[in-house]
Amino acid sequence: MIRYVGTRLGQGLLTVFLTVSTVFVLIRLAPGDPAVAYAGPLATNEQLAAVREQFGLDDPLPQQYLLFLQQLFTGNLGLSYSFQASALDVVLERLPYTLTLATSAILLAAVVSVPLGVWMSRRTDTRSETGVNVVAIAGQSMPDFWTGILLLSAFAVVIPIFPASGFATWGGLVLPTITVAILQVALISRLVRREMASAFAAPYLTVARSRGVSERVLTWRYAMGNSAIPVFTALGTRFAAMLNGVVVVEVVFGWPGVGSLIVRALETRDYPLIQATVLVTSLLAVGVQLLIDLAYPLLDPRVRLGKASAA
Amino acid sequence: MTTTTTPSSTGDRPSAVTPRLRARSEAHRRASAARAKMWVGAICALVVVLPILLAQVLPLPDPDAQDLGDRLAAPLSGGHLFGTDQLGRDLLSRVLHGGQVSLAIGVLAVLVSGAIGVVLGSVAGFYGRWVDTIVSRLLEAQMSLPLLMMLLLVVALFGPSIPVITFVIAIAQWPEVARLTRSLVLVEREKPYVAAARTLGLRKVVVLLRHVVPNVLKQATLVVLLLLAQAVLLESALSFLGAGPQRPFATWGRIISDGQDYVTTAWWMVTLPGLFIVLLVVGVNLLGDALRDRPRRSRASRLRSLLGRGGTDRLDRDAKGARA
Repeated sequence: MIRYVGTRLGQGLLTVFLTVSTVFVLIRLAPGDPAVAYAGPLATNEQLAAVREQFGLDDPLPQQYLLFLQQLFTGNLGLSYSFQASALDVVLERLPYTLTLATSAILLAAVVSVPLGVWMSRRTDTRSETGVNVVAIAGQSMPDFWTGILLLSAFAVVIPIFPASGFATWGGLVLPTITVAILQVALISRLVRREMASAFAAPYLTVARSRGVSERVLTWRYAMGNSAIPVFTALGTRFAAMLNGVVVVEVVFGWPGVGSLIVRALETRDYPLIQATVLVTSLLAVGVQLLIDLAYPLLDPRVRLGKASAA
Repeated sequence: MTTTTTPSSTGDRPSAVTPRLRARSEAHRRASAARAKMWVGAICALVVVLPILLAQVLPLPDPDAQDLGDRLAAPLSGGHLFGTDQLGRDLLSRVLHGGQVSLAIGVLAVLVSGAIGVVLGSVAGFYGRWVDTIVSRLLEAQMSLPLLMMLLLVVALFGPSIPVITFVIAIAQWPEVARLTRSLVLVEREKPYVAAARTLGLRKVVVLLRHVVPNVLKQATLVVLLLLAQAVLLESALSFLGAGPQRPFATWGRIISDGQDYVTTAWWMVTLPGLFIVLLVVGVNLLGDALRDRPRRSRASRLRSLLGRGGTDRLDRDAKGARA
């Protein structure tokens, strides 16, 4: 168990390290000069050179990378150019907002999609189920920025129930959460349906039914028990993906999270900020993935960590 | 048990199975649900795709022709079916011409990602060992990457030209094809015919290319439609964030992003292009879903009854190939 966690942690950290290094190289290959973005279009060449020297951008790339590694292991990722503050602090300040949005969206998605999927699996291919299925497919086909703008104009502008942007009150959380959750509900309810339907078709279920086990127990204990792992994995993976910033929705709602931060950082070529964001979010994503795997034995006692993990 | 011979509603054979019972059977229900999905999907997709393909032929104003006297005209007014935008450009024309770009990117991206995915997936599944390790690690690494962020980064790096965006979307999508192909090949390579072909002296590459890949390709291509739907959504998200094809192309994402500022005064600028995307993506998704869910045999047997003669295996295969 401890060995398993150790190995997984090592692999995860390696992935994070490679990701961060790739990003380091990529952003420096990219056209666009952070000095220009920082000093403005009217800056003279001398000013630009001064800015580059101040940020260490005129050093050779390997030297910059060594400095970056040093910073990485001391936990100080340098100053953000545009915020003039520690890049890591800027990211950590934004992180709770993304965490709040991701958590509420995944909770809403789970609460809606699991019962919905179970209902669908109980009556596969009837007319009403096909109808719901089509609606779910539609939900999965809507661009989130579009639903976001529509919800925003309907419930913040035309009927002003919720604030239009930012996170001043808890009401501000409602519309972004719904926007994010629509896609998740569509995807996960269809997954639940698929998993449950195949569980219902399995022979052990017929045997249990013939023994007189009630439909309710059949559904929730037998079929659900055997569908729990894939459903839980999907929820967890989706959550991990959201921690990388729900970029589009955050931009639409002016949500002060990591996603809108990265868009701004990319625009201004704020190298330290981009690196800090990538580091924090990929660390979190790896951590969540590990937690998901650690939860498997709780959901299914047959799972032994470390042995089946290769499968 | 005594069998009551019901009056023959099902021909001359006595049977307790009435047509009504049969209609409620699971296989029948599944088939008809799949058929319904397929029709709805095909209609939705065609409603969008046909006008897009015909955009040059249809009597539409130029998508970039500005008419500042006719700004933000409502739909159905002044000969503008979808109204006009903030510069007086005809919205329908912009949506249709933008659709050509979005569709082209989507189709190309799916072709590229399909090719990469099938090659890497089948090689990994067939050869196993270190090849498999490399490909599987790549798949995992990509899963843990912040996807949209990386896409934005790469577009910032190489510039938002159409080839770059196509490539970026393809890179985002190949894991799905690769994973599916790999798992199919893993099953396929254990089958006796592979061993037989090897015993006959065929080299591994030949077995893979001539026998294994053709056998899994049909199933692997079923995801293509679902990928196309995703590609269109991804492209519109990129354009919305300003990382899509640049002007003069009017892509769907940017039309919506432009309309965002006018959403209270000109609802159509956001709503109508969005509906177009939804209709297309729903249609493609439904089609893909129906093709995947469809009972295998029905396609061939329906064709056979259509042709009015017994089908051979050959016919089955051709029929499947033609529809897939």
